[in-house]
Amino acid sequence: MARKQSLAKPLTGPDNLPQQTLVVDNGAHTIKAGFSSTSFDDSEPKPEDCQVIANCIARSTRDKRTYVGPELLDECWDFGELAFRRPVEKGFVVNWEGEKAIWERSFVDERAKLKCNPHETNLVLTESPNAPAALQRNADEMVFEEFEFASYYRTTAPTLNSYGPSPFPSTSDSAPGVPLGCLLVVDVGHSHTTITPLYHGRPFHSACRRLEIGGKTLTNRMKEVLSRTVEVQKEDWIVQEIKEDVGFISQSFSSDLERVWKGGLKDPREIDTSIVVDYVLPDYEAVKRGFARPHDPTISRKQRALGLDGGPREHIVTIGNERFTVPELLFTPSDIGMQQAGLPGTILQSIYSLPENLWQLFLANILVVGGSSKFAGFTERLESELRSRVSEDYIVRVAQAKDPLKNVWLGGARLAQNEAVLKEHVVTRQEYLEHGDLWTRRRFAGKVGR
Amino acid sequence: MATGPLRFRTPHIEELPITQSRQAPGFAWVAVAAPPEDPAKNWGTANRKRARANVGGQTETQKEALSARQQREVERKIKELNSDNSKDVQIPIPKKEGGGGGAARAGKTTNTKKILASGKTFAHYLDDEEAEIARTGRRDGEAEVVPVAIQQQRASKTPYARRKAREESSMSASPVPTTGGSAPMRAGDPMEIDAGEDGDADASMPSAAEIETLLNLPPLTYNQARSAPPPSNAPPPRRFCEVCGYFGRAKCMKCGAMTCSVMCKDTHDEQRCLKFYA
Ligand SMILES: [Zn+2]
Ligand SMILES: [Zn+2]
Repeated sequence: MARKQSLAKPLTGPDNLPQQTLVVDNGAHTIKAGFSSTSFDDSEPKPEDCQVIANCIARSTRDKRTYVGPELLDECWDFGELAFRRPVEKGFVVNWEGEKAIWERSFVDERAKLKCNPHETNLVLTESPNAPAALQRNADEMVFEEFEFASYYRTTAPTLNSYGPSPFPSTSDSAPGVPLGCLLVVDVGHSHTTITPLYHGRPFHSACRRLEIGGKTLTNRMKEVLSRTVEVQKEDWIVQEIKEDVGFISQSFSSDLERVWKGGLKDPREIDTSIVVDYVLPDYEAVKRGFARPHDPTISRKQRALGLDGGPREHIVTIGNERFTVPELLFTPSDIGMQQAGLPGTILQSIYSLPENLWQLFLANILVVGGSSKFAGFTERLESELRSRVSEDYIVRVAQAKDPLKNVWLGGARLAQNEAVLKEHVVTRQEYLEHGDLWTRRRFAGKVGR
Repeated sequence: MATGPLRFRTPHIEELPITQSRQAPGFAWVAVAAPPEDPAKNWGTANRKRARANVGGQTETQKEALSARQQREVERKIKELNSDNSKDVQIPIPKKEGGGGGAARAGKTTNTKKILASGKTFAHYLDDEEAEIARTGRRDGEAEVVPVAIQQQRASKTPYARRKAREESSMSASPVPTTGGSAPMRAGDPMEIDAGEDGDADASMPSAAEIETLLNLPPLTYNQARSAPPPSNAPPPRRFCEVCGYFGRAKCMKCGAMTCSVMCKDTHDEQRCLKFYA
């Protein structure tokens, strides 16, 4: 229908899009951003082309400095007692005042590593699935009216994985801009975990689901359980590092828990120390970065902290069942009383909401992405739980992206290499000014052609 | 910085005191530890037999009050665990060097001025949208009809059939085109799985038209997309010792918290039990 209009006066189509595209996967925790170009004919976008930028404004009580966006990872060296303000809430940019400051510092400012002139740059920007429309409108208005990008494509982050490298070893990658045929994307993010079944790059919206456990839930939970023995309430950053360093997904939860039980804090019972570790906390003087080592029961934490036992002065926290009971929330949210199915159950809710003859396709093409999917054992556990829950007739296949953090970005960068595909998806600033915000949203929703 | 005193200078970490555990020889952690029943306190039910039968000697009413309080506590805690920002801190955005600040921050257009000055939280946006849907049945002007009758839990054989009628057929006639039709064969392609399996006669693909209809269904709202609770036949939630994290095996009669052993129960009684009343 809309196609026919091309016979009449052509709408202001994107006849000469700039070659350069800024691809921004705007996560709640970090922004993954970098340039792609339609002139990169043969060169595949690489993870190194993608910068990871803290999507926060952080205030240090130590040096009284406020770090905006990229400054945190580039300039901060003492991550103790940092307080965070995050513009992205529940996966969506809610506070544009903060986001604008971070974007300007990242993309516009003289010092910005990814400095560009928005008038000569296309923008590919991700959002979480199932966005409230008012927030989509805010994003569109900010991009076109405040930053004034030449053209813009807003899409859900999971969708871009369709354009990423193939996760399954049996296949070679396709040409840039050609989506994978069939993919069920499990995106384990900072705010939450989303499930998105994709068909040739397009989501089955009615089957998208969200489990409200994400990286931040796990960090906060880790903070809570470590507070049984050390005071870490103000140490978001350090606790997050602890979680990343020692956390894993248990393949056999009950027996692992049994192995590290000592029968109460003062029971002399022997525990299986293969799981228990001593984590040496950073003091940002002698220890710049925390690290784990096998548990040494002969060390007295108190003595060691005071430097009285002849060893180096160290602050140690001994971590046992917390290593796996915290990440376990992804699989068993009821462990904290949350009334949502775990990850396997949520995936099946998504798949079973589709016609039965599509179930096999998605069960066999599950792709895991997102920073919080990097726990050891994640993929194995997910695959084995799904396997045990569906009929033996089904093939179940789960693959983790080679770079779970940057896979969305890689997909966006590959899409932006293909000029024809990019043109299909973007709205130009000219079009936005002519047709308005509602038309723009409908276009991104696939409801209007040009 | 000079070597400080013996205090743990940096990441505000101090060891919490571990209080001496009260020796309670012969104390059993099982529910036998109920206090002797006091009929005077046994308000709320005349059925003393039933009251006595209750583990911990609580009445139904007391138990309900306790569990309602626990439920609220659980919800509060989940909200806290899922909070995005550091608690109780206001972090102003630093003034830009070179004085770009002022006018630039205020926004270039009426729209962006409004957005930048907005103090709305995600919850506000969500409430607004839910209110609009309740009022108009649509979420975004005329852009989207909100899908009704979401069947989150049940596997529906034809989940789209009922919604088909609601489709905005004219609007969805030309969705964003895909390059899918000419895509080369790859893993992840429907055909590959079919080819790999020679059985399953009934697993034939839906028609292209059916798939197109499905693909054009509008997105669910934020609340509709939330994962549904596990089915009712799922195993009951596990409970953990709040002191050490092992499986909880005894419930505190005062506050409902779980502990795993005499040792942990002592720690609980001495350090943590009364926090609900604080
Ligand atoms: Zn215990
Ligand atoms: Zn208690």
